[in-house]
Amino acid sequence: MSNDILLQARGIKKSYYVGTPNELEILHGIDLDIRKGEFVSIVGQSGSGKSTLMNILGILDRQTAGQYILDGVDISKAPNKSLSYLRNKHIGFVFQTYNLIARTDAIANVEMPMLYAGVPEKKRRQRAIELLEMVGMGERMHHTPDELSGGQKQRVAIARAMANNPDIILADEPTGALDSKTGRLVMDIFHELHEKQGKTIVLITHSNELAAETPRIITISDGNIVSEKTNGGKGVA
Amino acid sequence: MIKENCKLAIISIKANKMRAFLTMLGIIIGVCAVIAIMTVGNSMTADVQKQLEGFGVQNISIYVNPIDWNAELSDADMQNMQLKPEVLHRLSQKFEKKISGISVEANVDGGKVIRDGKTANVNVLGTSAGYYKANKVKLINGNSFNSYDYQQGNNVAIISDKFVEQLYGKEFAPENLLGKEIEINVWEQYLNVTVVGIYHYEESGSGRGGNKNITTNVYLPLKAAWNFTHNEEIYECTVVAAEGENATELSEEIKNYLTDAMANSLGDKFVVGAYSNQSMIEENTKTMNQMTMAISMIAAIALIVGGIGVMNIMTVSITERTREIGTRKALGAPDSMIMLQFISEAIIICLIGGIIGIVLGLILGNVAVHFMGYNPHVSIASIYMSVGFSMAIGVFFGYSPAKHAAKMNPIDALRYE
Repeated sequence: MSNDILLQARGIKKSYYVGTPNELEILHGIDLDIRKGEFVSIVGQSGSGKSTLMNILGILDRQTAGQYILDGVDISKAPNKSLSYLRNKHIGFVFQTYNLIARTDAIANVEMPMLYAGVPEKKRRQRAIELLEMVGMGERMHHTPDELSGGQKQRVAIARAMANNPDIILADEPTGALDSKTGRLVMDIFHELHEKQGKTIVLITHSNELAAETPRIITISDGNIVSEKTNGGKGVA
Repeated sequence: MIKENCKLAIISIKANKMRAFLTMLGIIIGVCAVIAIMTVGNSMTADVQKQLEGFGVQNISIYVNPIDWNAELSDADMQNMQLKPEVLHRLSQKFEKKISGISVEANVDGGKVIRDGKTANVNVLGTSAGYYKANKVKLINGNSFNSYDYQQGNNVAIISDKFVEQLYGKEFAPENLLGKEIEINVWEQYLNVTVVGIYHYEESGSGRGGNKNITTNVYLPLKAAWNFTHNEEIYECTVVAAEGENATELSEEIKNYLTDAMANSLGDKFVVGAYSNQSMIEENTKTMNQMTMAISMIAAIALIVGGIGVMNIMTVSITERTREIGTRKALGAPDSMIMLQFISEAIIICLIGGIIGIVLGLILGNVAVHFMGYNPHVSIASIYMSVGFSMAIGVFFGYSPAKHAAKMNPIDALRYE
């Protein structure tokens, strides 16, 4: 395991309704390091705060307190305007509900993050084709989401997440809406990305079974990390 | 980026064709109204302008009018109202340098010429040499009157090609009538004149309908007309200002001169009026511009209502696509790109509506102009203006919904059901 720390979270707290009597603290101070090339799962029941943590790690939201450094950039100090740029550059999202853009074909969906990154059209197209072929969707590049099955949509979404070659792929319950067979297929793609391309992947899930597949498992409950183990049974927490 | 946004906008419009069309309807109707009305207005202005210019911009019409239009006039009054040849003669000497001629017209009356059962209706006019400076009479055969004709009052005439056609048919060459005598029946009095010239009859701007009953002018020297009617009556008098003279200013001078010169006969019953064509053209243009302004205001209201429709649909569309917006933001779209995307969509809707409106407006305007009997005259400026205006509406009414989309919180947007 490399010693390069890619993601460093220190004392991350997140509260809602700050400054009102209803103030609600969801995360109570999360410390987390993720190294380059790791495949980590964050497991927790619904309401445990794992989605809130994912939003913060994905730069979709800001923590109330604490420090978050991603690839050497202190996100907590980055101005609001640069957040979309940072997401575009560092993060690839895979959602439970795929969130492909409707009425837009697979290739255009995969091109989208590159469009926002300002990649020229020809390069965009070429990369999108490569990525779609990689996830086994080379035959269906020009199909719109409503012409694709759930598993196919998720594969397009993974190709899209890879478009700008991000530091981290954040997958939020990526198999949650799929049957076990197609879910397996999607998980295999993640394993392949991890093993063959050395991608750093953070899998957020409520399923212990799924989490058990990843080399490192972080369990979160009530806004705290309650256990952390590597997949040889070596408890770290 | 612009291209991508346009593509996205077209995809979205295609996905909701009916809704996009209904949204456009307001813009279509507004632009259509503007273009149609502008086309009609422009055609009318252009035609009236052309007619007025046809009379000559340097022409100054001279009238004697009663102060009280309802007063009963005695024979002596009628005589006093007349412009007298001697007064006009003095006028021409006084303003010798400033005018190029005085057109004096004596109206003999309507008459007819019959040949082989065919009838040509004519209007017989006595004319001074200045008449041909004030009016466009295009000679195609023969000559105008010579000074001898004017002095002696010879019974010579200039007739129209239309007149020849009416009597002799289309095949007949008009020049064959030169030097021939024709007999005109004016209220059962016969006037025999020798044809010396033939002019081309100009169809008037709104000239529609059959040409069977067209009445054309037969011109005589002024004195010949007076000899026939035994009355030195002046029917119309027009002064032609010399080239480079300001006709409007000159008309004022002439009016003052005539008011003095005719003081005795005018008394307190009549006034002299002198109106330049130029001032009439200016007046006409002003009226037309005011009309256009008023109509443009109404059209602007229609376009604003259309714009509100666009805003409404954009708001609906953005709410519907909240998750899409959230996804785009998660993928790294900056606020400015989201904004651009939706403003582009609004602009494209308005632009398509504007173009449809222009096409419909041109059709409608030209049909209306056709039925009103004018020559169509499309205003290119109004087309550019409409395109610009519909784009501006897109920007203006698309801005607020687009801003709303750009400011959405990505997490909330992604969770939106």
